[in-house]
Amino acid sequence: MALGGLFAAFLLLPTLVLLTRGLNADFLTTLRSPAVTDALRVSLWTTGVTVLLTVLTGTPLAYLLARRAFPGRALLDALLDLPVVLPPVVAGLGLLLTFGRGGLLGPGLELAGVQLAFSPAAVVLAQLFTAAPFYLRAAKAGFAAVDRDAEAAALTDGAGRWGAFRFVTWPLAFPFLLEGLVLTWARALGEFGATILFAGSLQGQTRTVTLAIYSALDSDLGPALVLSAVMVVVAFTVLLTVRVLAARRAPP
Amino acid sequence: MKFTALLLCLLVSPAGAASLTVFAASSLTDAFTEVGRAFDARTGHRTTFQFAGSQVLRTQLEGGARADVFASANDAQFTPLLGRVVVGREVFARNRLTLIAPAGSAKVRTLRDLTAPGVRLVVAAPNVPVGDYTRRMFAAVERSGTYGADFAARARRNVVSEEGNVRQVALKVSLGEADAAVVYASDVTPALKRTVRVVPLPTRFNQTAAYPVGVVRGSANADAAQAFVAFVKSEAGQAILRRWGFLRP
Repeated sequence: MALGGLFAAFLLLPTLVLLTRGLNADFLTTLRSPAVTDALRVSLWTTGVTVLLTVLTGTPLAYLLARRAFPGRALLDALLDLPVVLPPVVAGLGLLLTFGRGGLLGPGLELAGVQLAFSPAAVVLAQLFTAAPFYLRAAKAGFAAVDRDAEAAALTDGAGRWGAFRFVTWPLAFPFLLEGLVLTWARALGEFGATILFAGSLQGQTRTVTLAIYSALDSDLGPALVLSAVMVVVAFTVLLTVRVLAARRAPP
Repeated sequence: MKFTALLLCLLVSPAGAASLTVFAASSLTDAFTEVGRAFDARTGHRTTFQFAGSQVLRTQLEGGARADVFASANDAQFTPLLGRVVVGREVFARNRLTLIAPAGSAKVRTLRDLTAPGVRLVVAAPNVPVGDYTRRMFAAVERSGTYGADFAARARRNVVSEEGNVRQVALKVSLGEADAAVVYASDVTPALKRTVRVVPLPTRFNQTAAYPVGVVRGSANADAAQAFVAFVKSEAGQAILRRWGFLRP
């Protein structure tokens, strides 16, 4: 009992300390400083694009993996999960050696006039690579859980395949998709290792909240504390949202 | 039996031998690694290093990190610790700045090219010593008027990333991801020379970096720490630093 309480305290204390240190008298002034607003702006819009791209490209892929049998599907499934367990800095190196100027696709991209490394696009790619697999996982589970009879009924009632997907499959899988999306967003928001290696760190361009916390630690603790407190609040909100979503999709 | 013997070896080090932890600026990585090997061979101590941007090491020391020696790449990250965290200050080496560009790219041939549109420049953040020296160098170029009155602003517009230590800056050029960067002359190591080209930087704009070293207050091995500092300043230590491109103090 006492041991369990001690462990719970260990898990709770650091975040509580961050909250109390971050939500200080200077909170609002620091929150309005350019270092903090720039980081929040960069993080919000890059994670926004990441989430959008994840839905657009991840949904059909997840559907394919959940519904179609093809040779090598299990292998592909495992490989697509790889970024989840890969150390982020390894992911960053992979991205740099693939999409960087000296990378595999570098010369081609260069010809097309596209420079990805050290750009906001690189931030999005880093987030997409490390975070999108969370959505893939959840969406696959969602599509697999949908009652195939309901789809078949819609089809016999005259719905087209798109109609059946739009009005039967999608709504039934929706709680799963939303949960995956929330996790993807949270992971993208916290992304650090791949971003600092592949996108670099420049205020207002590529310096996301986590990078801003890291660079602020070198000099002025103020912005780091405020951004950390914001991250604690955001993380808690995300977890709560996921809980609520999970409860909603649980069988009655 | 074997295991016990091994354990004894690990636990009981030779009489008077100490485990020394040295916090040193990233630019010292190669030189200090060799200095450490020579020092250990001579004294029987066991020296381990933590290399990072001097500003990171300073933050860690202020936060109570256990170390025996601190070697910084500038005074801005060293002097605030003097007395409280570090005892003594001796300059043991100097350094100069240099411009580097990827070996295979002709985009940056002279200092002037740093402001050309589309050039991707990587520098260190302002609180990193080399980042501070870099900004002073840009200001000196601007003051001279040679390349226009807004040289610093135009160069700054080309900066695509501000890194946390000089080795990260060098890495970005080495990988060919940046068109140019400002590092120390000593960073152009034999390993780096394979992938980068040195761009001439007129001496009148160059900045001199001075490296202070001191023993950390409360070091458990103060004598060994002092011996390390003395070794760095000795002829043997200076010869190693010279070989890695550092200048006399």
